[in-house]
Amino acid sequence: MTELNIIICVKQIPDPEAPLSDVSIDAENLEVVVDAPQVISPFDENALEAAIQLKEELDGKVTVLSMGKKLSDSVLRKALAAGADELILLEDNGFEKLDSHSTATVLAAAIKKIGSFDLVLAGRQAGDWDSGQVGLILGEMLGLPCISLAREITVEDGSVIVKKTVPEGYERVKAKLPALITVSNEVGELRYISRTRMLKMMRGGDIPAWTAEEIGVSDDAIEKMNIASLTTPPDMTRDCQFLEGSPDQQAAALVDVFVSLR
Amino acid sequence: MKEVLILGEVKDASLDPRILELLGAGKKLTEASGDKLSVLLMGDRVEDVAEAAASYGPDSVYKIEHPLLERFNADLWLAALEQACAEIKPSILLMSHSFIGMELGPRLAYRLDSRLTTDCIDLTIDSEDGRLLGTKPVSGGNAICVFKCAGQTQMVTVRGNVFPPAESGNAGGAIASINVTIDKSMSRLESLEIVEEDTVALDKANVVISGGAGLGDEDGFEMLEELAEALGKSFGSVMVGCSRMAVDKGWMSSDHQIGLTGTIIAPDIYVAVGISGAIQHLVGMVHSKKIIAINTDPSCNIFKVADYGIVEDFEQVVPALIKRLEEVL
Amino acid sequence: MSAHRIMFWQIEYTWLFYLLSAIAVLLFLIGAGSHIWVWKKNSKSMSLKGVGHALNKMCIDIITGRRLIRGDMAAGLMHFLIFWGFFLLFIGTCVLVAHEHLFEFLEGARYLWFSVLMEIGGISLLVGIIWGLVRRYLQRVPRLERRAEDAILPLWFVLMVLSGFFLEGARLAANSPQWADWSFVGNWIAGLIPAAAAERLYPSFWWVHALLCLGFISVVCYSKMFHILSAPASIFFSSASPVLPPSIEDETGRLDVAEAVFYDGCMRCGRCVAACPSSGAGEAYAPRDFVQWARKQMWQTQFPLNDIRLWNRGDYEGTNESMWYCTTCRACLEVCPVYGAAFEAVAKERRQAVEKGTLVPTILNQTLEKLFRYDNPWESSKKQRGAWAEGLDIADLTKRGAVTDLCYFVGCTTSFDDRARSIAHSFTKILQLTGVNFGILGKKEPCCGDIARRVGEFGLFEEQKEKCKTLFDQYGITEIATSSPHCYHTLANDYPDSSFRARHYTMVLKELLKNKKLSFEKPLNVTVTYHDPCYLGRHNRIFNEPRDVIRAIPGLRLVEMEHSRENSLCCGGGGGRMWQDLKGERKMSEVRLEEAEATGAQILITACPMCLIMMEDARKAAGTREGFRVMDLNELLLEALENK
Repeated sequence: MTELNIIICVKQIPDPEAPLSDVSIDAENLEVVVDAPQVISPFDENALEAAIQLKEELDGKVTVLSMGKKLSDSVLRKALAAGADELILLEDNGFEKLDSHSTATVLAAAIKKIGSFDLVLAGRQAGDWDSGQVGLILGEMLGLPCISLAREITVEDGSVIVKKTVPEGYERVKAKLPALITVSNEVGELRYISRTRMLKMMRGGDIPAWTAEEIGVSDDAIEKMNIASLTTPPDMTRDCQFLEGSPDQQAAALVDVFVSLR
Repeated sequence: MKEVLILGEVKDASLDPRILELLGAGKKLTEASGDKLSVLLMGDRVEDVAEAAASYGPDSVYKIEHPLLERFNADLWLAALEQACAEIKPSILLMSHSFIGMELGPRLAYRLDSRLTTDCIDLTIDSEDGRLLGTKPVSGGNAICVFKCAGQTQMVTVRGNVFPPAESGNAGGAIASINVTIDKSMSRLESLEIVEEDTVALDKANVVISGGAGLGDEDGFEMLEELAEALGKSFGSVMVGCSRMAVDKGWMSSDHQIGLTGTIIAPDIYVAVGISGAIQHLVGMVHSKKIIAINTDPSCNIFKVADYGIVEDFEQVVPALIKRLEEVL
Repeated sequence: MSAHRIMFWQIEYTWLFYLLSAIAVLLFLIGAGSHIWVWKKNSKSMSLKGVGHALNKMCIDIITGRRLIRGDMAAGLMHFLIFWGFFLLFIGTCVLVAHEHLFEFLEGARYLWFSVLMEIGGISLLVGIIWGLVRRYLQRVPRLERRAEDAILPLWFVLMVLSGFFLEGARLAANSPQWADWSFVGNWIAGLIPAAAAERLYPSFWWVHALLCLGFISVVCYSKMFHILSAPASIFFSSASPVLPPSIEDETGRLDVAEAVFYDGCMRCGRCVAACPSSGAGEAYAPRDFVQWARKQMWQTQFPLNDIRLWNRGDYEGTNESMWYCTTCRACLEVCPVYGAAFEAVAKERRQAVEKGTLVPTILNQTLEKLFRYDNPWESSKKQRGAWAEGLDIADLTKRGAVTDLCYFVGCTTSFDDRARSIAHSFTKILQLTGVNFGILGKKEPCCGDIARRVGEFGLFEEQKEKCKTLFDQYGITEIATSSPHCYHTLANDYPDSSFRARHYTMVLKELLKNKKLSFEKPLNVTVTYHDPCYLGRHNRIFNEPRDVIRAIPGLRLVEMEHSRENSLCCGGGGGRMWQDLKGERKMSEVRLEEAEATGAQILITACPMCLIMMEDARKAAGTREGFRVMDLNELLLEALENK
């Protein structure tokens, strides 16, 4: 095998680190409004790091796919700055609030258009809806071996060996290429992208954007998420009884609490 | 008649406690609709487990026994499950939001041409069209979304420690076998080795003592271990967990993390030490029966969800607490 | 017959001596030339200014050795003896050469004076070298290393001096001139050598001495002895071509000439290690090692023949991994005899790491992302930035019509940290009490870029700088007071061509004091000690302003810690350390707190939000005396003003 062809799917989401005070809910339009900049979903960043490390080690090509109604160049070019070779946006008015199955449909169509690949990587779940489905459905759609929750990925002799998290610890599994892998945070954080590197990438060439039509996805092949309602979380607050006094007195009072709960 | 099917997991040749929660959830749904409630168990030999499951009062228990199902293998289990669903044709399939459920759910949904809602904390039936509604926290717990399930088989994975477990009821549900055709070639992954790690079953602990950024360094966790030991004498299983900050700082491994991207727990007592209470963390522990918080900042979020609070530096309080516990308990 | 010496007495093959001399000098010139070549190749184009002043400073430093005596009298005297001994002998040898080849003048009294000075030079050098060996190998002064060349070079010196004295002794023993008493050491040795053997031994002594000296000349440029040239050069360039604030256009890895010269001027004396608070707390960082690593790096990348040094070639590998420990407190520069800034070498290396990306520690990575997105390193939102000022009737300069004399630049840490916010509360209260017309920038206030600059993220620093400058221009801000010495340093020093004047709050308080705006009704009977923040004291020499303000409080007693003013110890929070999780045997803040407690003071005063947080945390962790407090100067001052 000469070089490794990796496709990685990333999602652009509002910064999941935004504090509660910057999140509001538009119950009418069934939207979570986050007053925060867009970022690449954290687990997808982990997957990106894994992809770039593989590429650095074995030579190859990393192609980044991202789907959405309106995507931000400046957010996604970070993937290029990190070391990916190509970024392809899947942009269409219809690509909004798609359910997991439909998202996978669009990605699968784009991957088929790209043609050849050895590995498809995705984060284990997106940081906004936390569904954790798209990667695995995509694997099914493409008829690939699916490996989830990868901590470490190595490629040798046309196979991929993955250390994946299992309840007892970890399992090393092997699959023939091409394969689909969902990546967990243990693979490591995405390297830091300096502002100079990012700005250089911002001045780079145009980023190709494919529409639904261009990848052959018809309107009836995709569905929006079927949301019945969206609300603020129920009040979690309790009446906190503060234990006062010196540390010793506080400790004594707390021990009394423990005794009463025994 | 419609049927609500529960995918039961077997752990160490006995019933995984999560099934009881799923049975609790399932009963809630079928009591209203009058649908049939059944449990599906897979493995090498699951006779005993099937009987145990039957004692909790489902209308029927299906068992799939096959030597290749001895250990969890996603490809083989998926094939078996697909065949079983084709036979049972459940209208609703409940799975635990566990390792197995998260792995099988999306792929099975694709194979059954269904849609799945993951990590539900509540299940109801839409009174108008009779569809299943799955409630799920989204945006890191900042919003609660109700999804309407689509497809022939409405699939959900259910979060642990949310539904009250079913109590053993009138047994007598019939146990039926389902035969499936699977063979080794269906597995596309070759397992090279499984390495056991000291996994932290935080969700099984009676008491969890959890530390965060406020501990300052990993030495703080040694103090929490001592506290856990002191409490362990009278509270059974006491474990030490942590917030994501503590994992980021490298003080604890990520399997100790409590919160949305870590473990979601609901122990009898949760003690938060030096944790300010980011929403992702709160989501992971807010259902604990009693919450005790120790933090220097009286205005931080953790006190808002706590039953008892101590505003003081943990390095002052915890040693005093350990000493006192050793005297009293 | 007047006193004189016959050159090449009894020596044959003088042509061989001249040939060897030529080779030694050639090796010396090649070595020196190589250094200059590497310095030039690796440096940005240099511009010299204040050459006269720089030369003056260099000469005084060399002649007096003041930089070496300061802070370590023993080491300073040792070096003084070696330097003057070596210098006298070197000049003496040059004089002999001139005498032999230009015009003969060493006769009579001149020759006698010459003889005495040579004796003094030899003794001085010998005593200095032996003292040095004792310090290094018997006293085992902690800051000194014991590497191969550290033993070889001094022993070489000892042999050179001894062979010189024996050669002289043999000559005097053989000739017994009547002026022999003037060469008091040589004459004493002459007594040990039988006259008959002396003449026979003399040529051997002569050749041994000659070969040792020529050999020494040959290795000067290939060992740490090169400092006899590079140290003066470093002193000169540090003043005539100071290290410039790095610019975004700089090629990474490029040095300023002063830095390149400093790397070669470092003679591993370890004064920086002794002064470094990180090394002192037992952390895995030593400025000297870092500079040595940087020197090696410079040679390996710039010189075709790899490292030019003969010894220590395999050492200091991987030292650069320790770069994140440096708090950029400037203690290393304060004590460096050749004015080298190890912390700037760290900044250069950090910049490369940041550009590469993979070596940036996780928390720092997240912090920089946060800084870029939210203009602060603390919270993933800009909204709460001005929240501390709600209801305090403070003008927001970004609101229409607000014009004030002073813009209070609150800074990120003071805006977001629970403990540090009290600095903003007390400072603004004092400004209100004293009738200062001031305002803040509210939630539009950007980060000044200090953290980005210190951890080597220069691109982000430039962006923050532009944001600040644009905002200041937009609202016509010309006078700025900061909470943090870090913001102050950055605004005042790292923003060239700025249209505003930035001051730290201590300078504003001092002005209020001078203008008699601060009045105290009752005495405050407490004993306090003051911790100099690195970026206020060492970096900007603001030592007296805060002390003057503290002393103005009636009843209060100010005591100093063991390390104060330019020798102050760092709290451990600067240079991006606040956002890292690195450990040593102890915490810098705890070491500092112990010093503060040892003074017997009841209150430790700081003038920096980071110091406040670090020291307060250390106080909680260490469990200090009952009632011992850590306070910001504003908090103390407000307490004194409100003490009625």
